[in-house]
Amino acid sequence: MKDTILIVDDMEINRVILAEGFKDEYEILEAENGKQALEQLEKEPKIAAVLLDLVMPEMDGMEVLRHMRRANMLTHIPVFIITAADSEKTLMDAYDLGAVDVISKPFMINFLKCRIGNIIELYRHRNDLEEIINEQIERLNKVNLSMVETLATLIEFRDCESGEHVKRICGLTDILMTKVSNMYAEYSLPRAEIDKIVTASILHDVGKIAIPDGILNKPGRLTKEEFEIMKQHTTRGCDILTQIPNIMDVDIYNYSYDICRHHHERYDGRGYPDALSGDDISIWSQVVAVADVYDALTSPRCYKAPFTHEKSVEMINNGECGVFNPKVLAAFNDSLEEIKVKEPPEGI
Amino acid sequence: MSIISELQTLGVDTDEALTRFMNNEGLYIRMLKKYPAAVEGSKASEKFAQKDREGAIAETHTLKGVTGNLSLTPLYKAYTEMVALLRAGKGEEAAELYQKTLPVEKAIIDCINNN
Repeated sequence: MKDTILIVDDMEINRVILAEGFKDEYEILEAENGKQALEQLEKEPKIAAVLLDLVMPEMDGMEVLRHMRRANMLTHIPVFIITAADSEKTLMDAYDLGAVDVISKPFMINFLKCRIGNIIELYRHRNDLEEIINEQIERLNKVNLSMVETLATLIEFRDCESGEHVKRICGLTDILMTKVSNMYAEYSLPRAEIDKIVTASILHDVGKIAIPDGILNKPGRLTKEEFEIMKQHTTRGCDILTQIPNIMDVDIYNYSYDICRHHHERYDGRGYPDALSGDDISIWSQVVAVADVYDALTSPRCYKAPFTHEKSVEMINNGECGVFNPKVLAAFNDSLEEIKVKEPPEGI
Repeated sequence: MSIISELQTLGVDTDEALTRFMNNEGLYIRMLKKYPAAVEGSKASEKFAQKDREGAIAETHTLKGVTGNLSLTPLYKAYTEMVALLRAGKGEEAAELYQKTLPVEKAIIDCINNN
């Protein structure tokens, strides 16, 4: 299939000369002004190059370049300015805006074909490579994620869990983080960041691997000393993460580290390990804290039967599990329908 | 006399043009035939009369591009100079040159129309 070139010039004569020169090797699209050019680019995003006049009615070439730059098109589509302009400033402005080359009218079509053909080839190569790299990154991310999930699941098996806890924490973190982000401008995050936080939440309890079985799986209440050791799963988790920083993307690593350390902090400063309070605790750690508590309450543990959804919500709201940020609680209470996916079978 | 040789007598660089049009004389002549309409559609005269500098630059700039691509050499040279004069703030000199160019342009357009 032939590549497509978009020719933008208000003078038909100029367009026809270019179209004639390129029609054997390329499909040709034409536009009489900048506005039409942007419409064509929207309709046909796979354009291989744009030959752009500068001085045109409706919308000039500079404006087209600005639009393309804002829409991030210039990384994939080379734009050649073809102009009779002789002002150096105009030409420099065009380069600054991201034009790949400036060609003066009158042009010689054979030279033009070589210059444009070379750049199109280069861009095609680059776009192909980018696609290959993106595929590789995606594959690598999948492998890394499955390694992280495997690690988390192994830890859970020690903790009388089945691997479902991690999945539920991810689901709850997703629901709560999305809600908090939508409800409060100060906590608003792009979707891509929320996705990273969700992935990072998987390793929140990785430090439990360093806690002795006798404490981790003790059926009754922990003694003060035992609880002190149990609390160390936050900091020990961070120690483990620092040993395996390359297992994941640097952003996810940073979120993981923060969540691992701070998912037992409480808004009033009475949590551990650092007794942080208020928004000194990152919003993602605050969110995972609520998700973790809700899941712990509604799940059976070696030391307790599961609570019902309603009872768990009540306990979280009345501070029985520590004080949470009122805004995170509001988002939690606003998400109960989504959260209550499955009632524990034998609730009390 | 053919249109090509007649244009040559008026100073048009038809050899350069034919190279540009990949020796496709038919295409070159087809494009030449579009030139009179391009001039008719131009607002250069109006912009000069209104002393609208930016407007005059845009119009003469467009004609510079077209005449260059058609190798209408005397007109290309004149429009190139007009754009430069206008950019240098010499509007009156540009307007004078425009007036001087009109008969040259008419001769070329007549030649195109009559062949």
